[in-house]
Amino acid sequence: MPLESAVEVSNLTKYYGKLLAVDHINFTVEKGEIFGFLGPNGAGKTTTIHMLTGVTKPTSGTALISGFNIMSEPAKAKELVGVVPEVSCLYDEMTAWDNINFSAKLHSVPKERRETLAKELLELFGLYERCNDRVGTFSRGMKRRLMIATALVHEPEILFLDEPTTGLDVQSSRQIRDLIKELNRNGTTVFLTTHYIEEADQLCQRVAIIDRGKIITVDTPEKLKTTVQAERIIEVSFDRVEDMTNKLQRLSSVRDVVAAGDKFRLYVEDPSETLPSIFHFAKKNHLKVTSVSTLRPTLEDAFVKLTGLRPEVMAIEKEHAKSAGG
Amino acid sequence: MTRPWSEDTKRAFYIAEKDVKIYFFKGPNLTFGLLLPVVLYLAFSIGRTVEPAQAIPGLVAMAAFFGAGAIQAVSLPLERRTGTFNMLLTAPTSLFTIILGKTLAGFFFGAVLSLTYMTIMLPFSTLPNLPLFFVGIVVSSFAFSAFGLFLSSPFGDIPQAMPPATVVRIAMVFLCGVLSPIEMMPTSLQAVAYSLPLTYSVNTLNQAMGGAINIQMFLIDLAVQIFYSIVFLAAAIWVLKRTIE
Repeated sequence: MPLESAVEVSNLTKYYGKLLAVDHINFTVEKGEIFGFLGPNGAGKTTTIHMLTGVTKPTSGTALISGFNIMSEPAKAKELVGVVPEVSCLYDEMTAWDNINFSAKLHSVPKERRETLAKELLELFGLYERCNDRVGTFSRGMKRRLMIATALVHEPEILFLDEPTTGLDVQSSRQIRDLIKELNRNGTTVFLTTHYIEEADQLCQRVAIIDRGKIITVDTPEKLKTTVQAERIIEVSFDRVEDMTNKLQRLSSVRDVVAAGDKFRLYVEDPSETLPSIFHFAKKNHLKVTSVSTLRPTLEDAFVKLTGLRPEVMAIEKEHAKSAGG
Repeated sequence: MTRPWSEDTKRAFYIAEKDVKIYFFKGPNLTFGLLLPVVLYLAFSIGRTVEPAQAIPGLVAMAAFFGAGAIQAVSLPLERRTGTFNMLLTAPTSLFTIILGKTLAGFFFGAVLSLTYMTIMLPFSTLPNLPLFFVGIVVSSFAFSAFGLFLSSPFGDIPQAMPPATVVRIAMVFLCGVLSPIEMMPTSLQAVAYSLPLTYSVNTLNQAMGGAINIQMFLIDLAVQIFYSIVFLAAAIWVLKRTIE
């Protein structure tokens, strides 16, 4: 008997009224992998996750969860998945213990098993000490960890995580990422949506890039990076910090310049041609080059090339996501 | 193989238990469920010759009506706003089970409030026919809970859900023989009154609490309320499906 994929999506489409949110997408998630679903805000990531987890119905197309059709066999499909939405799905008025137990009851976990599992998960996620406290008193990072624990209490095969680190501080984000890796090592398939491209690069074995409801590509992060291999990047900083974007733009073989903190990223055709002109530019403007390096293309570069979204826009989106998350 | 009904029934009870725990003592519940019936009764009866014994069945029906409805005006819209409703939607159960669970929570709140009112009013009333009274309260509270759920089903937040639900409920109080007999109303309004579930609840409680008992009429009043419960549940599911999907 052939092994079923964890998730198999064919021509999945969602209209909200006349708005086409997801446009005939196709992809497969294999069992045991961490699959990233990358895209800018409003690309259709959350709508896709909602369709795959039974929150909303697709307009057309099919989605199979370990072989069970989410439309015709929703209960069987839902038994196999744990869901961590972007927005908290926890009851603030209830304790951490009650939240996790309520989720276990909804998934028909037997009483003895659910108490053992709830204790184990709360300990694993470092929340057992606070298990009798109301969730309303928890920090954002603690809530996110509790959401993951709650989603795991029925031991699902597939875990759906929608923007798991959005709005979290650096330490909490790292904790969540470590937990995701640990869960995957233990055999859980992870479907992850994010617009943090570095996060997808660190975690995912394969990523799908979605933009304006359409899947642009599905591949490994490394293969995606090779699609922009032809593009070279020089990162340079000077002893004086001021906006030199327009001046740098005029240097030899430079296609684009992006300010990144106190550095400038020069997207060039031929680094050997540009590098001398950078030093010449510095001398002419009485500047000292404090650092200069050539960079390998990142997954973000591939994303930018594939979606046409400029790095500045991505940066603004990230800031917006952080402030929206608090 | 179909899912065992017992699992879904258990899930409905778990949802009801959770709702009762969370929403029982929320401000709007206490204001609309506990206080509004007595405030409406006092506002209507002051300056009029309304005997308490005559008004008690209506007052108890109002307690069930506002009690069962109050929790529904809060729990569903609040869950949809905060995102907790998604935890229910992603569980391996149907929308019917979720709605049934929420209806049971409202039913419980309405039944407890009406029994509380009845206990307080007992010194001013004759002892009711207990079996009929309990059956009347059970059926009425369930129907009113389903009605409350239906009223809140289009809305994704409490401030949107509360005003229309309150207006509809207060209008029904004046139309359904709660404060004055339906027979005293104009014929056109009587037709409206007989199309509303609260009228049948007042009828059952009137019979159970000292009125002349006509078992056939009593059963018809119950049947109408059960019919309304089914219609409201089906309508709530239909509206919810359309708004969340």
